[in-house]
Amino acid sequence: MTAKPCSHEEAVTAAARSGDWSPELKAHRDGCLTCAELTLVVAALAADAEELVAIHAPLPDPAPIWLRAQLASRERDYRRATSAIVWVQRAAVAVTLAVGLAFVPGLWNLVKGAFTSLDLSSPVADLPRAAGSPLLVIVVSMLVLGGLALWELTAAQEN
Amino acid sequence: MIPMALTLPRTLTTDLAGRAVTMDEAAFRHLYDRTARPLRAYLMRSCGDLALADDLLQEAYLRMLRSGFEGEDDDHRKNYLYRIATNLLRDHFRRKRPESDEVPERDESPGHDEAVHLRSDVGGAMAELAPRDRQMLWLAYVEGASHQEIAKALGLRSASIRSMLFRARQRLAKQLQARGLRPELEVS
Repeated sequence: MTAKPCSHEEAVTAAARSGDWSPELKAHRDGCLTCAELTLVVAALAADAEELVAIHAPLPDPAPIWLRAQLASRERDYRRATSAIVWVQRAAVAVTLAVGLAFVPGLWNLVKGAFTSLDLSSPVADLPRAAGSPLLVIVVSMLVLGGLALWELTAAQEN
Repeated sequence: MIPMALTLPRTLTTDLAGRAVTMDEAAFRHLYDRTARPLRAYLMRSCGDLALADDLLQEAYLRMLRSGFEGEDDDHRKNYLYRIATNLLRDHFRRKRPESDEVPERDESPGHDEAVHLRSDVGGAMAELAPRDRQMLWLAYVEGASHQEIAKALGLRSASIRSMLFRARQRLAKQLQARGLRPELEVS
């Protein structure tokens, strides 16, 4: 005899779970292989579940789960709060690089001129000329600041 | 017999939209107390290892908290937990067999059989089934999940659940009968 799907399966499942069998359903089950198998499976699984739920091994403590979730939540909040700063740092790096690239040809001549005219033997007298170009001061400052921003950015990402 | 529909308290929520953890600790503990044992039973019968079941159980709750899922009602939250747990089981089985993208038909890892054959004949019979069959049967007949819920949890087409469940049930019945359990013995 081969079992085939039966239209009473839903009712048999409910009855097998609750143990509440109507005489008609019980009669049907006794003559239907599919429903007899279904009854066996549902009853066996229910007994197994009961046994497993009642197992004496203690459950894992929920406190660490809660703490880990809290930590993850705080980390996400921190990332959200610092994301604006990170974007400003990125923008600073980008602007610095753009300025640096735009002035590379002129800057090279400027730096070359500054160094060739620099007389290290008399620094006081020649200092204004060595550092005299406002453009040079701006560009060097931006490069230094850009470097610092880059360092900050890297440090922030590592953390 | 364990209750088929767990009655869970409504979780307390804050107004902090977008925050991952939306229930307070007391609500979480209450949810945990109500659902952890049945969920562990499901995990244990599916993976056959108590220690692994405990790990997956913790991970399931952690993921639920991280996701900020509140759920429409108690059943919704319970279903969500079981879906996470089922995904974790699937990931576990995939990691064990990286060459296959499908859930393996049999779990034959060392020590598996000893762990799965817990105390009952039912445990032994279930261990002979594919992990997906075990999950499907448990969700359907212990948790009372609908075909749609089972399909969602297992990543299958809803239309194919009926026939898959029928075949899985036949396989389990065969295993149970091989262990001397007959339909008439189970009938109350």
